[in-house]
Amino acid sequence: MSKKPADLDFAFTRRTAIAGTAGGLVWAGLIARLFQLQILDKERYQAQAEANHIKLQLAPPQRGRILDRFGRPLASHRRAGRISITPEQTDDPEHTLAQVAALIELPDERLERIANEIRLSRRRNAGFVPVTVAHELTYEDFARMNVHAAEMPGVNVEMALTRSYPRGRDFAHVLGYVARASQDDLVRLTEGMSDKESETLKTMFRHPDMRTGRQGMERFAEEWLRGKPGYRKLVTNAHGRVIEEIPDERLAPTPGRDLFVTIDSDLQRVAIERFEGESGAAVVVDVETGDVLAMVSTPAFDPNDFVNGISTASYAELRDDKRSPLYPRAHGGVYPPGSTFKMVVATAALESGAVKPTDRVHCNGYYHFGNRTWHCWKKGGHGSVNLHTGIKGSCDVYFYEIARRTGVDKIAETARKFGFGQDWVLGMTGGRGGLVPDREWKQRVRKESWYEGETLNFGIGQGQLGTTPLQLALMTARIATEGKPFKPRMIGIGPQSQDDHTLDAPLDPEVMKLMKAGMYGVTSEGGGTAYRSGDLGLGGPRLAGKTGTAQVRRISREERLSGVRSGSEIARELRDHALFVAYAPADNPKYAISVVVEHGEGGSRTAAPVARDILHFALKTDSRRKPAYSQSASLPKSMTDDGEPT
Amino acid sequence: MNREGFTGFSRGEARTRTATSLNFETQGPLNKLMRLPWGFILLIVAMALTGIAMLYSSAHTNPVEAHLWKLQLVRFVFCFFMMIGLALLPLSWWMRLAFPAYAGTVLLLVLVELMGVTGGGAQRWLQIGPVAVQPSEFAKLAVTMALARYYQMVLQPQTGRVLVHLGALAIILLPAALIFKQPDFGTTLALVASGGVVIFLAGLSVRVIGTAIIGGVASVWPVYQFVLAPYQRERVDTFLAQLFGGATNALGESYQIEQGKIAIGAGGFNGRGWLQGIQSQQDYVPEQHTDFILTVIAEEFGFLGSTALLLCFAVILGWSLYSAARSVSWFGRLASAGAVATVGFYIVFNVGMVLGLLPVVGMPLPLISYGGTAMLTTMACFGLIIAAHMHRDEKLTARGLF
Repeated sequence: MSKKPADLDFAFTRRTAIAGTAGGLVWAGLIARLFQLQILDKERYQAQAEANHIKLQLAPPQRGRILDRFGRPLASHRRAGRISITPEQTDDPEHTLAQVAALIELPDERLERIANEIRLSRRRNAGFVPVTVAHELTYEDFARMNVHAAEMPGVNVEMALTRSYPRGRDFAHVLGYVARASQDDLVRLTEGMSDKESETLKTMFRHPDMRTGRQGMERFAEEWLRGKPGYRKLVTNAHGRVIEEIPDERLAPTPGRDLFVTIDSDLQRVAIERFEGESGAAVVVDVETGDVLAMVSTPAFDPNDFVNGISTASYAELRDDKRSPLYPRAHGGVYPPGSTFKMVVATAALESGAVKPTDRVHCNGYYHFGNRTWHCWKKGGHGSVNLHTGIKGSCDVYFYEIARRTGVDKIAETARKFGFGQDWVLGMTGGRGGLVPDREWKQRVRKESWYEGETLNFGIGQGQLGTTPLQLALMTARIATEGKPFKPRMIGIGPQSQDDHTLDAPLDPEVMKLMKAGMYGVTSEGGGTAYRSGDLGLGGPRLAGKTGTAQVRRISREERLSGVRSGSEIARELRDHALFVAYAPADNPKYAISVVVEHGEGGSRTAAPVARDILHFALKTDSRRKPAYSQSASLPKSMTDDGEPT
Repeated sequence: MNREGFTGFSRGEARTRTATSLNFETQGPLNKLMRLPWGFILLIVAMALTGIAMLYSSAHTNPVEAHLWKLQLVRFVFCFFMMIGLALLPLSWWMRLAFPAYAGTVLLLVLVELMGVTGGGAQRWLQIGPVAVQPSEFAKLAVTMALARYYQMVLQPQTGRVLVHLGALAIILLPAALIFKQPDFGTTLALVASGGVVIFLAGLSVRVIGTAIIGGVASVWPVYQFVLAPYQRERVDTFLAQLFGGATNALGESYQIEQGKIAIGAGGFNGRGWLQGIQSQQDYVPEQHTDFILTVIAEEFGFLGSTALLLCFAVILGWSLYSAARSVSWFGRLASAGAVATVGFYIVFNVGMVLGLLPVVGMPLPLISYGGTAMLTTMACFGLIIAAHMHRDEKLTARGLF
């Protein structure tokens, strides 16, 4: 069946036309499909495109600041460059991590930890939460990372607000510090929450900007300071890289509230400096309002070191430091109060009627009881001593006698009325109540009956008795106000502890007047143990106080005989602690203070001058003047340390 | 004298009457250059430049790909001069080259099989010196030329028998089998389809065509079940699922199609503007600078832009087919029409795939998509079409294999 060329030519032309027509139909089909997608279904796809690239990202709230009495920031924020990796935005986080490590210096140990964290977050299905790789970037590192970040999917280089403690060590034991929430923290924080609430909280705390109070006021006032998380509306590309942010007021996080403490940070600073490197504690209280104006424990750690996690080595250094910078001496340090306790003993004796102020006791340097001998600190004795000269000269024999007459239980009861034996929280953590021993306590804890000789030791503030510098300051304040009800506090605006109560157990004002007279004698009359420290150097106001010595260990018989129990002859850490409590001005008390200089030996020699200088500054600058938070209009604006608004 | 369309005259007769376009060879090369179909060429250049602009738009935010548009521009300039060169080549030379080119391509395909570079799960690339080439791309042009050459040889002595088409089938199936084995299902299909068009145009009887269509439809299921590799079957499944609106997992296999459709649909009637597409600028569509470049055009220039693009393609192909129909030699007719079919199937497969009408077969959009080998093949096809157009009145005689 052959065809002529002409037929074939014609067939070719016809078939070309058929093919062209078929092609035209296919084209029409394609255009119809475009019409369907781009015209008919346009809205659906536009909505999808919109939803595609806008993501909501959990935005952590900004933590409230902690400000001192006059609005000066004690805990605030600082801008710092930070690198983080969002695990779900990178195909190979390990490779991404290696890329970052090639650009900035990262110790192997840290790399390992981050790699682990990334693996963990993937396992928890929390790959959307960024994992911090490095913080506190130098300017050079930050700039370099910024340039290269675009090539590394999942790597975020940003300026973050970091908790900052501008006063460094000054408030370490008061404020504590914040840290990334550990598993333990999360368990503690979510206690009693519903599953949903607890899940939200846990997610929020995985954000690299989130910190939780680990110690001190940061922990105590956690909920006050924390705020509520919000969301950021972000335009992202397919790899999750953020292109821009769409501001949305309704989604913004609720920042935490600022907290005011009653402390005057300048007074705090002066007090710390006055210790001149010695370890010890000082507490200053406003006797009228109960405001704590200074709460010093030195040496201390720098809480800034803890914000981004302290290295194991640095922590070990702090922990093993012989001078114990981690130890919160002012409210958690328990010391025998020594002679500073004698006002409590005297009060107990007078209130119980066992002793009259005029009763005389003869001191020849020692006191016999049972078959033992108790010694007075003054060799050769004070001679004939009454209440006033007993306090002024701190005669041990006088107090052995009146303590014995009063009895342990009455002294213990009076001690509690002054605030001893109680853990004053005041918004801090790590506080201790110390110990006020009595018959019941001894029976219960030691399973022994009280030995009368112990009452004698109790009478001079030694033995089982344990007190904190904070308690001693409160005791002094109660004396200074002649027993008026008194509510100590350290949080001006913020949550208050339910455990702290008003010191309102009745104290006889007449008895308190006698105590004040005695304390005035100590610093301002001949024979006073701190005669030289009475003048505040302000051309008038004087302070009234009481010295004390806390025995670090028992005085041995040999030492007493040889007379060697101080100075360079014995090891420093075995030397006694020097104590001093005082109030000022003596005639119209405003401030009460307690000072402990560890291993300072003599209360009058080392502790009293410290107390005097602190009180001098407090009076001169009027530390107790009206706090900033009482006039809410002049509250300082929220800003970072370098003055930028946040 | 009317030379256009159906004239009733045989081509030979018409030509002898209007001899103005005869014997270019006797005129100077400059004259020949002047007579090139410059409107057609300008349209091609305009489309390629559009493609480069779209490539810039799709990749400029990505530092790794931001420079690709320059590379593509250099390639296009090179390919452009190659096309002009090929267009000026006498058709007899094309014919002489047909069988050697075919043999060379088959050899390359065998070499790919033996020592090719594996990329993307298939062994498609061959490293020749500094360049990696994909011989399956050249096969499209080579098969077209070989078919035209074959029919020039067998149709001239008026042998319209069914059996002569078996030789053509063999010419198609040899490279097709090699390409299928790589595996590259898309290219195989394009090769067989454009080859089929050539056989159809060469006059295969309607009855045989009907039988082939029935056989083809009947073989769909067995091919799916026994011939396709699992990954290919998966693609077909995904395609069918989205085509019929079944549940599709937006992050799974159909992610690319879904994101592509979102980009296209989001473009609306007139698009979001160049560099303004929210899907395109943020990398949501994988391979958007290569196979899925249409999504960028559709999103940034809307229905207007994408339709205009398709119409430009239609003009190019329509003119080419028309030009093929005017050729007097069987080689000229079929080579030109085969080239039209090759480029046409590229477009249909690519657009159909991007619009979710066809399975994802990995086919670039001619002139627009980023990629060197496809650009080379496409431009060579246009070179061949123009050459056939220039020598449409030349009667060719084929003797032997060269």
